[in-house]
Amino acid sequence: MYPNKRKLSGEYIKKTAIVAIGILITIFLGIFAAFWHIQIVNNEYFRRLAMQNITRSIELTAPRGLIMDSSGVILAENKINFTLYLVRENVVDMEKTLCLASFFTVKKADTIRRIIARYKKYPQFYRIPIKNSLARGTVIFIESRQEEFPEFEIGIEPTRTYPLGNCAANVLGYISEISEAELSSKEWHGYGLGDFIGRSGIEKQYEPYLQGMKGSQIVIKDNLGKIQKVQSVVNPVKGATVVLTLDLELQKFIEGLFVDQSGAVGVVDLQTGGILAMVSKPDFNPEIFSQEMEMEQWLALSNDPQKPLQNKFLQGIYSPGSVFKIIMALAGLQEKIIGLATVVHCSGSQNFYGREFHCWNPNGHGAMDIFSALQNSCNIFFYNLGQRLDIDTIASYARFMGLGNESGIDMPNENTGLVPSSAWKMQAFRKRWFPGETISVAIGHGSLNVTPVQMLKMIATVALRGRMPHLHLMQRIERQGEKIAEFTPEFTQVPIATENFQVVVEGLFRVVNYEGTGRAAKIEGLDICGKTGTSQIIAKENPKYKTLTKEKRFMPNSWFVSFAPKVNPRLAMVVLVENGGDAGAIAAPLAAQIYKKYFANERLF
Amino acid sequence: MKDYFKYFDKLTFVLLLLLALIGIFLIYSAGFPLQEANYLKQAAFLLFSLVVFFIVFSLKVDFIFRNAFIVYMAILFVLALQIFIGRTVAGTKSWFRMGSMGLQFSEFIKIPLAILLAKAMTRFELIKWKVFFKLIILIAMPVFLIVMQPDLGVSFILCSFIPVVILLKKIKPLVLIVSFLLLIMCGVIGWNSSLLKDYQKNRIISFMNPAKYKTSTGYQIIQSRIAIGSGGLNGKGYLKGSQSQYQFLPARHTDFIVSVIGEELGFISTAILFFIFFVVFYRQFKFKFQSDEEFYFIYLFNGLIIFQFLINVAMAIGFFPVLGISLPFVSYGGSSLLSFFIGEAIIFRIKINSYLT
Repeated sequence: MYPNKRKLSGEYIKKTAIVAIGILITIFLGIFAAFWHIQIVNNEYFRRLAMQNITRSIELTAPRGLIMDSSGVILAENKINFTLYLVRENVVDMEKTLCLASFFTVKKADTIRRIIARYKKYPQFYRIPIKNSLARGTVIFIESRQEEFPEFEIGIEPTRTYPLGNCAANVLGYISEISEAELSSKEWHGYGLGDFIGRSGIEKQYEPYLQGMKGSQIVIKDNLGKIQKVQSVVNPVKGATVVLTLDLELQKFIEGLFVDQSGAVGVVDLQTGGILAMVSKPDFNPEIFSQEMEMEQWLALSNDPQKPLQNKFLQGIYSPGSVFKIIMALAGLQEKIIGLATVVHCSGSQNFYGREFHCWNPNGHGAMDIFSALQNSCNIFFYNLGQRLDIDTIASYARFMGLGNESGIDMPNENTGLVPSSAWKMQAFRKRWFPGETISVAIGHGSLNVTPVQMLKMIATVALRGRMPHLHLMQRIERQGEKIAEFTPEFTQVPIATENFQVVVEGLFRVVNYEGTGRAAKIEGLDICGKTGTSQIIAKENPKYKTLTKEKRFMPNSWFVSFAPKVNPRLAMVVLVENGGDAGAIAAPLAAQIYKKYFANERLF
Repeated sequence: MKDYFKYFDKLTFVLLLLLALIGIFLIYSAGFPLQEANYLKQAAFLLFSLVVFFIVFSLKVDFIFRNAFIVYMAILFVLALQIFIGRTVAGTKSWFRMGSMGLQFSEFIKIPLAILLAKAMTRFELIKWKVFFKLIILIAMPVFLIVMQPDLGVSFILCSFIPVVILLKKIKPLVLIVSFLLLIMCGVIGWNSSLLKDYQKNRIISFMNPAKYKTSTGYQIIQSRIAIGSGGLNGKGYLKGSQSQYQFLPARHTDFIVSVIGEELGFISTAILFFIFFVVFYRQFKFKFQSDEEFYFIYLFNGLIIFQFLINVAMAIGFFPVLGISLPFVSYGGSSLLSFFIGEAIIFRIKINSYLT
């Protein structure tokens, strides 16, 4: 068919075929070797990369534990909140993403950039929370167009809420986001950026219990970051429930008594040492901290001269004023410097160490024994007592009664106040103690400083005739209905004889019931014992005293410490009204109302 | 007719059919996550290709060779036409739509070009300047038109004819050196002119440093390597490869079909696939023929298939830039399948002729 077309020699054809097949074999051996290397030798490595491609671990926030009052009313719980997350690995154009994020969150793009920058060390797939409490409309908008915004994710997160608003705010405290500085310390091991921690009050004190355990979810994602399936879930464990000794009804009642005054009230159950009410006014709404706070909001709170964020009951330091006379009386009796027969004549003023010291009653009280001195809060009696007791003895009795030290109540950031002594003055001022200063301290002035909780502990100890209760707010902690911690009442004995307490208690009974300075606290049917204290902000010796005290902020603080009933006491209480003026007129009637409220159910009256 | 059956290369034919069926099987897996019906289209193409195979097989080789130049010119005309009026599909104009099925005409130039080169090769022993320019013009015209489409892959594959011609013939050393320099020059001009699109350049740049281009084209190489490497000895199971099924693997049904089998069926199955290719190639080099041009044609066309196979596989494991080169007989693509079966039909006919006369 093709006569002359085949000219190639057989040898050439053979040689060519050999070369071609040689090349072919070389190529295939190379390919097999390459595939062997990548598929068999490096299989583990690529298998790991393939897993990293598809699996993502998502952290599940644990809901914080509840906080309840003693009757089970919820004071702090969690509500559902939508959080907007940004996932960097799905970002195509960062500028566009920032622009969108700014639109969704109503935040400045630079603010969002700063948030993202904080997560520099976190993996690219980490979900960076850029806004919580996302508006519902935004949630729907993003969810319905998820394909368009693969870099954004919406998560349902629990946020802290306080259903009673400002109620017991300073007891509960608040939570806020952990800072980077805190994260680098050992104390916060196990926490991550974006976590919330207790900053004050019970939220801080019981943080380890309330916090709960984070869960995690391993999901399979495709190349667009879309979740295909959930591979495994470790559910978060909700934090434990903290049940407080607080009596919410009483708490609310007391808070209602303060209209525009500032001050603090504490009520303790003498049987257990459990705090029934702890009020610090003015207060705040702790929920604003669980959300993102505006700068102005924060500044307004932190710069408020009335310090709403300060728990005045634990952190406010004040002169105890005449309340301190209780400790003076105990010291005098125990040191046997005074007895039941000791009588001091009060003429309105007396000279000590070349200086004139005044009684609050310029006309004088006349002959005063220990009972009438307490009843009338006579300064002259206690000046004389102070003169005969040295400052270091007074200081040690003050310390016996819990002053100058933290009360040990289960709350953070307590102040210690100050009990002056000669050693203290030497250390602080490199000066000797002058006996004249002791005279001021004898009526609760001078350098002496106390917190309301110390006063509550002191009056409770008096009520229990020397048995000092351990004050506490936590009654028990429960996890899934199981009790994991419970407070057992604890009392310690003060080194002062019981009969001396009986004398002071009798004096305090007269303060209220024998037309004493605390007569405004008197209630028919209930034997209330108490002591007023009007502690001056500025000294009476100040030449401008009369004009300045007309200004609210220079008016004296009003104290009333009390307990009831006289025999087998059940309740001790401290009331402090800042700049209230005369304690007998201001603090004592408040106390009466609180007693009435508490004992109302028992039909004592 | 009995003789036709007797001398027909049944084993190679069955193996080719097997490759195409494996292809359909893999295309199904590649399209599974998005429920694409590409595998059905490919099956239809295969049936059509088999029909065409036997039509071409029934034609006389002489007739085909005589008309190659007309076909060559016709295809060039169509390609040129496409550049001006062609519709742009996926960034290239190379698809000529016929109903619901597109035809990629650039694929079909392989056969007439191989025939024309084979015919030319019977007329010289030594590549001198005159011959050299003739060959260059023959190859450069379609290459240029296809680059303009732009379809880098097919034009690159056509260049594989050059080394085959040089290996089969003797060449003047000066011509070799000059042609080599010319090649470099073309590369430099191509790189700096607007002929190469940025995305095409990126493919080559990212090949040099895939990690740096994680989100762009280097990404494809990385994901393909992960897919193949994670497959291991036995693979992750059909339709169970995470790289394929969660769509980390790009162009699964075309350029990276090897990665699908590598991931889901593992080294053993991949090696079997390669072995089938090896047997097919090997058998194509043991043949009888009646004229020199037939000899040259078989070498040129087989060289092209082997070249394309090698580049595709090397690309999947990151040894070669991603140029858009599919795996012969296996990858999705009707035009490619059809053109290869036409080429094989001619080879089958050549092989059988020597027994029948």
